[in-house]
Amino acid sequence: MMERAMEQLNVQLSRLTRSLRRARTVELPEDNETAVYTLMPMVMADQHRSVSELLLNSKFDVNYAFGRVKRSLLHIAANCGSVECLVLLLKRGANPNYQDISGCTPLHLAARNGQKKCMGKLLEYNADVNICNNEGLTAIHWLAVNGRTELLHDLVQHVSNVDVEDAMGQTALHVACQNGHKTTVLCLLDSGADINRPNVSGATPLYFACSHGQRDTAQILLSRGAKYLADKNGITPLDLCVQGGYGETCEILIQHHARLFQMLIQMTQNEDVKENMLRQVLEHVSQQSDSHYQKVLTSLAEVATTNGHKLLSLSSSYEAQMKSLLRIVRIFCHVFRLGPSSPNNGNDMGYNGNKTPRSQVFKPLELLWHSLDEWLMLISTELERSTKNPSLSSSSSEIASLLLKQRESDPSRTTLSLLEGEAYVDGEDVISMTANRLSAVIQAFYMSCSCQMPQGMTSPRFIEFVCKHDEVLKCFVTRNPKIIFNHFHFLLECPELMSRFMHIIKNQPFKDRCEWFYEHLLAGQPDSDMVHRPVNESDILLIHRDSIFRSSCEMVSKSTNEKLKQGIAVRFHGEEGMGQGVVREWFDILSNEIINPDYALFTQSADGTTFQPNSNSSVNPDHLNYFQFAGQILGLALYHRQLVNIYFTRSFYKHILGIPVNYQDVSSIDPEYAKNLQWILDNDISDLGLELTFSVETDVFGAMEEVPLKPGGSSILVTQDNKAEYVQLVTELRMTRAIQPQINAFLQGFHTFIPPSLIQLFDEYELELLLSGMPEMDVEDWCRNTEYTSGYDTEDPVIQWFWKVVRSLTQEERVLLLQFVTGSSRVPHGGFAFLMGGSGLQKFTIAAVPYTSNLLPTSSTCINMLKLPEYPTQEILRDRLLVALHCGSYGYTMA
Amino acid sequence: MSETYDFLFKFLVIGSAGAGKSCLLHQFIENKFKQDSNHTIGVEFGSRVVNVGGKTVKLQIWDTAGQERFRSVTRSYYRGAAGALLVYDITSRETYNALTNWLTDARTLASPNIVIILCGNKKDLDAEREVTFLEASRFAQENELMFLETSALTGENVEEGFLKCARTILNKIDSGELDPERMGSGIQYGDASLRQLRQPRGTTTQNKQQCNC
Repeated sequence: MMERAMEQLNVQLSRLTRSLRRARTVELPEDNETAVYTLMPMVMADQHRSVSELLLNSKFDVNYAFGRVKRSLLHIAANCGSVECLVLLLKRGANPNYQDISGCTPLHLAARNGQKKCMGKLLEYNADVNICNNEGLTAIHWLAVNGRTELLHDLVQHVSNVDVEDAMGQTALHVACQNGHKTTVLCLLDSGADINRPNVSGATPLYFACSHGQRDTAQILLSRGAKYLADKNGITPLDLCVQGGYGETCEILIQHHARLFQMLIQMTQNEDVKENMLRQVLEHVSQQSDSHYQKVLTSLAEVATTNGHKLLSLSSSYEAQMKSLLRIVRIFCHVFRLGPSSPNNGNDMGYNGNKTPRSQVFKPLELLWHSLDEWLMLISTELERSTKNPSLSSSSSEIASLLLKQRESDPSRTTLSLLEGEAYVDGEDVISMTANRLSAVIQAFYMSCSCQMPQGMTSPRFIEFVCKHDEVLKCFVTRNPKIIFNHFHFLLECPELMSRFMHIIKNQPFKDRCEWFYEHLLAGQPDSDMVHRPVNESDILLIHRDSIFRSSCEMVSKSTNEKLKQGIAVRFHGEEGMGQGVVREWFDILSNEIINPDYALFTQSADGTTFQPNSNSSVNPDHLNYFQFAGQILGLALYHRQLVNIYFTRSFYKHILGIPVNYQDVSSIDPEYAKNLQWILDNDISDLGLELTFSVETDVFGAMEEVPLKPGGSSILVTQDNKAEYVQLVTELRMTRAIQPQINAFLQGFHTFIPPSLIQLFDEYELELLLSGMPEMDVEDWCRNTEYTSGYDTEDPVIQWFWKVVRSLTQEERVLLLQFVTGSSRVPHGGFAFLMGGSGLQKFTIAAVPYTSNLLPTSSTCINMLKLPEYPTQEILRDRLLVALHCGSYGYTMA
Repeated sequence: MSETYDFLFKFLVIGSAGAGKSCLLHQFIENKFKQDSNHTIGVEFGSRVVNVGGKTVKLQIWDTAGQERFRSVTRSYYRGAAGALLVYDITSRETYNALTNWLTDARTLASPNIVIILCGNKKDLDAEREVTFLEASRFAQENELMFLETSALTGENVEEGFLKCARTILNKIDSGELDPERMGSGIQYGDASLRQLRQPRGTTTQNKQQCNC
């Protein structure tokens, strides 16, 4: 008894010692579930001795499946590459083909993880390579996905069918191609894989290679004779390459199937194809060689010409053809500008090497330009005819009915006149039907001309073209001004052409011009509607509130214009906040600082609310730099549609726009003097003996100095005949010459963000609205602070109607009304009670005028007076007022 | 996605106003007579893929305005045309008399090799006939034109007119008389053309043959 007990104790003791020495149990628990978790970590670490020892005397079922996915220890060994354990388990009868819950065998796992030795052993123990998991994947799929060519090589010997399909009908070759594993692809092909095998959606290995831009793989497939097959939806490998912008793969496809070149070119007509991707592909193809370059461009030019001609066919869809033509020409120009690949003619626009001139590629387009020219000449003839016969062209419906009547009364005589009349009737039609289409072709023509010129220069050929067809083009835009905004973008790039159309453009609604302005200002900027975007810490403008002007100036000058255009991020020193609101606040308080009198940069004008450069700003030695900075800030604000809190004088807005100032602008700085100038103009000065010459005396630091207004001016007398010139010159002296350096510096800054050609779309009133925004208008306050003269009073029905109409106006129209009457779009600080006139406070005044039919309201801006005819009804009042506002709020005529 | 064809031919339809050019084209493309047809303004466009002698040919057809005032515009479309249908109205001697002018235009502006077929249209209005078949066929003979009388209303000979013209061009290509590679020949190889002899076996995709213009 004792002995047995001793023995047992010894066994237990030695077990305990062994266990303690190995820091693990030395005996497997009886139940499989607990045992397997004891063994699993050992298998994972390939501790085969321990495993073998533990298994030795146990009844553990080596095929016991455990865990969520129901794997056996053999799975674990294969997965982790624990080859010794794997062998051990196999020896102990583990089933090499045991499938886990997803149908994977140990071989699948070994293949997936590239466990070469494990795979070898599994095969030795007759693992079946052809077993599919639940998704239909076999071991070779796993190897192919990961490009384990060497292992694949070993495995395919045992595979009965290399083309075994997964649930999607995909073979190992498909997945290898998709992932671009070249050697794997070769190995599979050498093992007899079907090179053209379609999957369930009809996609072949080549299709897969192309869908991921696997150039080399596509090359291998094609050189092994892969067929070029579309999938079941008709999507071809070429479509896929273009979708992904895979130029190199496209090039390979074309090398093997030359006909695909034309297909590729034809794709430019397909609006579903992404333009930038297609362009990328064509760029690549064109860069292969000079002859590729020539061929791509010539083919594009041909397609463009056919499309252009189709666009000029009236039955085609204007919208679709127009887009198609412009897209093709855009791509054409882009590829042309890139130039051919050979480096030796990089900067030669005319000839490539010694062979064909580069301009050769434009030849097919000449057909289209020729047709365009003929069309415009035709229209010019039609126009001439209709001006010769204004009675006929004035109203086509009238003629038609007239002709019909004639025909009834005198059938024999009218045939001739009918024919003629018809020509005129649809002469009108021809213009309205073709204007849009021709304008789109003109746009294409401009693009094609410009891409042959250095950036920023207008092609002489195009200028000549516009001059030649001046009349027709003007006719187009007069009839349909939208054409300017849709197709005549060239105007914004060619100041010399812009001036021809300026008066028509200026007549277009402010809103349309604003859209055009921003469309072009922001063209090329990626995501233009965000002022604030996530930025690098280093791009944040860190501003000190206590030295806002100086620190802003410093930060802005450190940044680059390009970055500032992309977006502004502002953070005030010691504050957390960032974002739109902070940017807005920054512009607001910075603009207040700019006009801070301490800097002496801007002075208040006579009315106390507007500002203009201070002619004595040079007391601040850095003043010109600061003016440039002020211009930059204003430009930047406009660029990002932020409003500033400054109102400038009318004359300064004119300076920004490059519009000459006139004597009335003088009133903003010197109202008395302006009145005197006005007086000279209004009265005959011949016999007054003023003895004025073309010179003025000015005070330069205390000394009176004679400044001539023009060369030799001090000896030229001002007469009745030349007084207008005198007034103009003296105005320019006061308004412009005195602050010319300041203006120049300001504009230099402003133009870094806003090109002069774009800003000139607006007049000085609109510029104020753009920069400073629509003022808040309190109609009640307005009404309370209005005076009435010449017969009106608050009770008068006309006045009652007037205010009713004002209340019904839009905000924009109210601003127009205020501008119309006061010449300014602003309500002074403190409200309408503080409205200023030429000499001090001057309230808004409405004066009665006797009514005659069609009479419009007029105004005297210097005394803020609206001369309102005594209209018989509210409707007529509203109607006349709106006419006056929309046509007459700009430009002065002497009433 | 796009149609497959061996060749693309640029065709013109020319002739005096009212001869029925647009109706011929409409009949050819839509297989329908175009009721209440207006004067064509400028040039209209249509296309159809046809089978000629075992080849698929895409006909890109430019239908020109007959009115004199459009003459300069329509002329700008002549360049590079491979074939033309010269149309007159058998019930209008005026349209027949103008043929010489149209012919000169076509031969000088398009190409001296342009293949022209003369079409005496409105065959259905035999009662009002002003130009006899014999007279016109003599004119065709003298000017080396093919000749057919057609009716856009009934469709008679319309298809034949276009096909005959296309067939003649194909023959000229085969005989080497016309070189499609020459600029301005009005002929382009299509994506299924024979030029791709080096392409690997059986690579043509089978796409539906239909006009998608």
